[in-house]
Amino acid sequence: MKIAIRMLTIATIILWIIILFFSVTAVYSVMNVDIKLGEVQMLPSSEGIIFSLPFSINNKGYYELADLNLTTRVTDPDGTMLDLSETIIPSIPQGTNVSSTHKIPIDLDTILSMDLVPLLLNDSSFNIEIFAGLNFARAVPVQLSTNVTMPWGAPFAYFSVGTISVSPYNSTHSEASIPVSFENHAILDITGTLKMEFYNNLDELIASGMTAISVPSQQSYADRILVYTRLQDISKLTGSGNLHMIFETPMFTVEWWEPYG
Amino acid sequence: MVELNAKFVMDTVLPRVLKAAVWGTFTFVMVYYLPLMLIPKDIPPNILPFDYATQLFDFALISVFFAVVGQLFSGTVIGCGFGIARALVIIAFFFVVSEGGVFNVTLPISDLTVNLRLDISTLLLMVVSVNLLSIAKNLFEAISLLTEKSTRINLT
Repeated sequence: MKIAIRMLTIATIILWIIILFFSVTAVYSVMNVDIKLGEVQMLPSSEGIIFSLPFSINNKGYYELADLNLTTRVTDPDGTMLDLSETIIPSIPQGTNVSSTHKIPIDLDTILSMDLVPLLLNDSSFNIEIFAGLNFARAVPVQLSTNVTMPWGAPFAYFSVGTISVSPYNSTHSEASIPVSFENHAILDITGTLKMEFYNNLDELIASGMTAISVPSQQSYADRILVYTRLQDISKLTGSGNLHMIFETPMFTVEWWEPYG
Repeated sequence: MVELNAKFVMDTVLPRVLKAAVWGTFTFVMVYYLPLMLIPKDIPPNILPFDYATQLFDFALISVFFAVVGQLFSGTVIGCGFGIARALVIIAFFFVVSEGGVFNVTLPISDLTVNLRLDISTLLLMVVSVNLLSIAKNLFEAISLLTEKSTRINLT
């Protein structure tokens, strides 16, 4: 009995020492893990764009960091998932520095499959869910999660159509001048062709026209689009109706309706 | 009778009280002051998932109490009972403090709200195992003491 008691006492003391040693060294190891985040870069790719986040982890602690998993989930304002990216580093042994890059590819096909009109006309925000997990010393799993909103600047923000004026152009046609204005809140310049189809309140096509636009980022656009109609169609003009706007670039076409009058 | 009591106090009680006082002080220094000195002072208060100073003080109080009573009643069945109680209290304390082994904390970091989940169930399992060993040891001690007492032949 005495021997058993003594052995149990020794085992208890040894285990307490192990627990205390592990706890103290674990706290120090966590303090000595150096995480550096680089700047987010936007890179073009064959399928769209890639957001790239370089990072490095210098494990100056006493224990291995295992199963590092960095996951990002990008959703549009309606909650539709645009991308789910994962970066896994199986092991960061003690005393090593590991550099990696987390890439969030945004596929152009995915973007084009979305309802682009609200994104073209209204400022909004994308939601990025970030999840990071690792296994400290293969004994203590740690998980971090957060939400980040990325503001989206609409390229045709505050799009408006002014008062339409009609004047004779020649013996067969009249000219309608349609003032159009908007602000390009996007991070990119917009360059393309803006086509316009002019419908009266009976949905009859009266005229159409187009203009080439090139608006730098964060700049306003205000100009008149000239459309021409035959003289016999002038009588079909009504005080209100709809404009069918078609914006074309070499990569995509998007169209929407704007009321006038 | 008075002479006997004084002898008992001088030979048994006083050394135990002194030993208990020394152990209590030693335990307090080891369990409270030393960890408090080791923990870096520049940790932002909202980074740690709990108020570590208060929890450490609570743990120190439990440890000191059981260290003192353990020394006062050492070699007795009551001492073994306190040993078992200490193990159970420490298991319960760690369970409560660590929220069952999994911390879930929300940390405001600049504009972001970061949810941290720290799973220390392995560590908690080790603490529980050690305390179960401690319970076993105290049970053996109690059985041993009772066996010795019951098998002692009084020839007077």
